[in-house]
Amino acid sequence: MVFNVKSIALLVIALIIGLAIGYGIASIVGGGMVTTVTVTPEKKTYYIGFTLPLSGELSSIGKVWEKVVQLAIEDLNREVQAYGFNVEFRAVILDDGTTEEKALQNVQSLVQQGIKVIIGPAASAQVKVVKSYVDSNKIVLISPSSTAPTLAIPGDYVFRTVGSDAGQAKALATLAYQEGARKVIVFFRNDEYGNAFADFLVSYFREMGGVAIKLSYQTGLPDYASEVATLASKVQSEGADAVILISFDTDGANILSHAAESEILSSVRWFVSEGPHGAGELLSPAIGQFASKVRLFGTRPLFIANPLYEGFRDRMKQKFGMEPGVFSENLYDAIKLAGWAILRAGTYDGEAIRAALIEVAKTYYGPSGWTFFDNAGDKALQDYGVWAIVPRAPEGYQFKDVGLYERGSIVFLEEAYS
Amino acid sequence: MIPGVQQALMNTFQYMLFYLIFSIPLTLSYRTTKVINFAHANFITYGAYVAIFLHGLLGLDIMSVAVVLAFIVTGAIAVLNNTLVFTPLQKRGSSPAIIMISSMGLWITYKYLLYMITDVARYYTAKNFVSYGRITYSDVPRGSIVGISFSQALVASLVAASLLVALLYLFLEKTKIGRAMRAVADNPSLAEISGISRPFVVNLTWFICGGIVGVGGVIWTSFSGAITPEVGDSAILQVFTVGFIGGLVSLLRTGIGAVLISTIENVGIAILNTYFGIPVSFRPFLTFVTLITTLIVFPPLGAGGGLPYRFLRRGSRK
Repeated sequence: MVFNVKSIALLVIALIIGLAIGYGIASIVGGGMVTTVTVTPEKKTYYIGFTLPLSGELSSIGKVWEKVVQLAIEDLNREVQAYGFNVEFRAVILDDGTTEEKALQNVQSLVQQGIKVIIGPAASAQVKVVKSYVDSNKIVLISPSSTAPTLAIPGDYVFRTVGSDAGQAKALATLAYQEGARKVIVFFRNDEYGNAFADFLVSYFREMGGVAIKLSYQTGLPDYASEVATLASKVQSEGADAVILISFDTDGANILSHAAESEILSSVRWFVSEGPHGAGELLSPAIGQFASKVRLFGTRPLFIANPLYEGFRDRMKQKFGMEPGVFSENLYDAIKLAGWAILRAGTYDGEAIRAALIEVAKTYYGPSGWTFFDNAGDKALQDYGVWAIVPRAPEGYQFKDVGLYERGSIVFLEEAYS
Repeated sequence: MIPGVQQALMNTFQYMLFYLIFSIPLTLSYRTTKVINFAHANFITYGAYVAIFLHGLLGLDIMSVAVVLAFIVTGAIAVLNNTLVFTPLQKRGSSPAIIMISSMGLWITYKYLLYMITDVARYYTAKNFVSYGRITYSDVPRGSIVGISFSQALVASLVAASLLVALLYLFLEKTKIGRAMRAVADNPSLAEISGISRPFVVNLTWFICGGIVGVGGVIWTSFSGAITPEVGDSAILQVFTVGFIGGLVSLLRTGIGAVLISTIENVGIAILNTYFGIPVSFRPFLTFVTLITTLIVFPPLGAGGGLPYRFLRRGSRK
């Protein structure tokens, strides 16, 4: 009997290990994170570290980013070889589960492996936690998606290939005000990103002459039904005419799907941050109908009229069959910048790479546009677009950029909701 | 009158039903097997993902099929956990704490296994399974009666919770095997002396408990707006709180815990927010204040009856 149980246990454990190995091989053969190029002995290999949200709250987007890394590293290697460099870049990807502690652990273990350039983590709350470590160890950290204005600090080792939310908060406040909202409930994530965004948004909206009331929600919950119920009662008791939602993708989709079932929340306007843009759950019929009923608009960072973005999107679709989600283009450019900065530095040393990165970014132009950094190490030139959820040709819904934020006002390029 | 009180009450009712479906099996499994099982979270998640894979891979939107399949899958996982991990450890004389820690190991293993499965599924279908939208089922009615609208989730969880309570009562009180289950819970040694096969009863308990939670997971897909491979993980704290209020022993008190926690989380926070301006983000905080209060003020319900050490002393295994 004991023998039986033991052998079954061994069998199952072997099965699980086998599955994991098979999975690993499949992802390498089928195009995993490591590009398999035969290395000639004299070729120099540089490692770029990644801490990505492959599980946890941002895993939906993290899974897409894993593919973006693969694409960017391939492109980078091809490019540097075309320029005659006998080097190869390799990605070392670690999963941080969208948590602060694991992001710090990952950064530390990457540094212990001798890696000097790390891309990630995704969330501002995570960047905040790893910041002092990378600063004191002179490790160049490039986050493709952290946008909290509180992290715009000059002279540090943290770079961000996306503009700070001080800009987006202005665009979103302008959008809401221009669309006629005068009293809004700002419903936001109670984290670094949400709090900083909400603070800027509220102050801009008040400057314009509107009334903004803040309401935060706890993150990482299994569901947000009761938060949405409280939001509805707040909207009713305050007599608000719009809700501004500042969220990531999964929580945003969850909140919108519950809001779609509320009569009160279906009768006010909705404006949304960039977080939920690109999330497939938002394209369900229920949310699609809700979007056109409440004339839902969102803002997101983009670079106006950038043909490189179109090319990038097409390649992602062609190669992996997926739409690049939010901040994919910023990640792609972060990787390219890191690679060129390492080569320009001429030595694999944090301080030299940091100086080289600033120079490389001045002349680099990619899917996210011109990457020039401001003195805080954030993308200096950041445009903001307006997106909507509109019906797609045969059936279903799609995201569409319908307007731009330009010189202090929103310019609509087309009618989103008839 | 709190504005939006109707929605808050509906949510209370909805959450109460979910907590019943998730927590009663936790209590039932603990009192029969004496294992504090953190892999309970996986039963919720795997139940939900049975429905998601049926929907995403096969285009099947029939809840009754998903429910049956999920019961079998999660029930089988529970039996597998017991056969391969808990029973061997118990035979070696591991303490309840060690077994609890092993269940945490299982919990994390299953979580990442599911991430791997969603990755493979995505590779073949180009669909995102890591965050999946609400499923609308074709075989569950919804509508409104006297101005109150009933969602599919409410209808399904009402049916499931009623069936659960009724069948469990009949099973435990009226059938021979159900009585055997209670006997094993009350006094394992005496039960074994009187000819009850303890391993069989324990495995059966695991199958039933795992299965019921899996069914709850399926219903969750018709309620939540975005389902992730960590849905069970984030729900498990509330589920354990409800279970602890029942001391992990009393099914009736577990039921009371479900009512209490769902009321505090929905009506309570609405009142605090409206009248005292307490931020909504304090909702999880309230849950745990309730838990600690319960443990301190009513020790017989919480710490007194439920913690493993007490059972070890009272139990007659030695």
